[in-house]
Amino acid sequence: MIISRISRIISNYGNLMPLFAFACAVLCLLGILMLPVSYHEDQLYRKTQNPDSPLDPYERGGRPLERANITLQYPENSPYAGYVTAYLTPLSLYLASSTLYLGTTIVAHPGGILDEILYNTRGLDTVVESSILFVAFAIGSFIFRRR
Amino acid sequence: MIELEGAPLFTLEFGDILVYFTPYTASLFLLALLFTAIVVLSRPERQVEILFGTDACYAKDTSIEELRFRRFMSIACGLATMGAMVSGDVFDYTLFTALVGVTNVGIVAAVKSRHVQNAAFQYGIVALAGTLPLFGGAAIVVASTGTLSILRLAGGTAPGAPLLAKALLTLGVMGEGMAPFYAAKAEMFRAPGAPYVIMCSLSSLLIFLRVIEVVLVI
Repeated sequence: MIISRISRIISNYGNLMPLFAFACAVLCLLGILMLPVSYHEDQLYRKTQNPDSPLDPYERGGRPLERANITLQYPENSPYAGYVTAYLTPLSLYLASSTLYLGTTIVAHPGGILDEILYNTRGLDTVVESSILFVAFAIGSFIFRRR
Repeated sequence: MIELEGAPLFTLEFGDILVYFTPYTASLFLLALLFTAIVVLSRPERQVEILFGTDACYAKDTSIEELRFRRFMSIACGLATMGAMVSGDVFDYTLFTALVGVTNVGIVAAVKSRHVQNAAFQYGIVALAGTLPLFGGAAIVVASTGTLSILRLAGGTAPGAPLLAKALLTLGVMGEGMAPFYAAKAEMFRAPGAPYVIMCSLSSLLIFLRVIEVVLVI
């Protein structure tokens, strides 16, 4: 009896979102009870903060055309890891030497630890991320353009 | 790890991301591959509806444009499912799962029926909301263990992921794949075009089977 009632409720697709939201809320409450979750100090993709560096908060470390010392999960799979990290274009190099705020515009400049992670060591993630975006665009444009 | 799913038969390296085939993941992968091949090769069904008490019946046809789009979405869904089955990285797995959710919405949203589209809309919102626990779970895994590699986590060299992260991951996959809501999915299955709609079901079943394995080993 109770099963048929439950299945009647969840078969109505209007109830899907409230049900899922309820499950999320319950889990969040349980999650608060499970706190604290300890932070593991030995992080694989660590980030350091140095307010005096012009590249803060994306201080890259390393020198151009030399291999920077970065931690990797499987160093044997990325023989060229560490070279992207230290790279700055000449314009970025000029900006870095003349201002303290290059780090805030780091997305406009190639190189750096973000690029190192995004395109070298964790490149597959970047491919899948952009595939999600393209698939979403494809769905949106198909529905929009349909007569 | 070894007891649960067998030793990896072979691994494929993408930098820090490993793709590994164990007997368990390889069989799930083959299932997804087989069904993707069926989707590529088969023609969609034509639903015939009979008016009760009369001789009248009519067949629903899938237009060629809709067929093409839904086949494309089903193949994308199959590829994403295959990726999720063999991914050896928690974050990569969550990304593939999110892609499965998006393509599932696409498969049903292309049907030109108000009823089906209403269901697809609700499903899309759940898939959207499901990304929060999904990626939240992966974030807690990396914060509390320092790594994302499933092999490393399963090997015992890293501390185990907390229960909260596992619960969040499972809830996220439930939202993406709508695993407990098959009754509501029946609304979407009324959409004509059989092999494509079944892809939604199969992919959500497979990602759910995989998340159980991931949660047990990390």
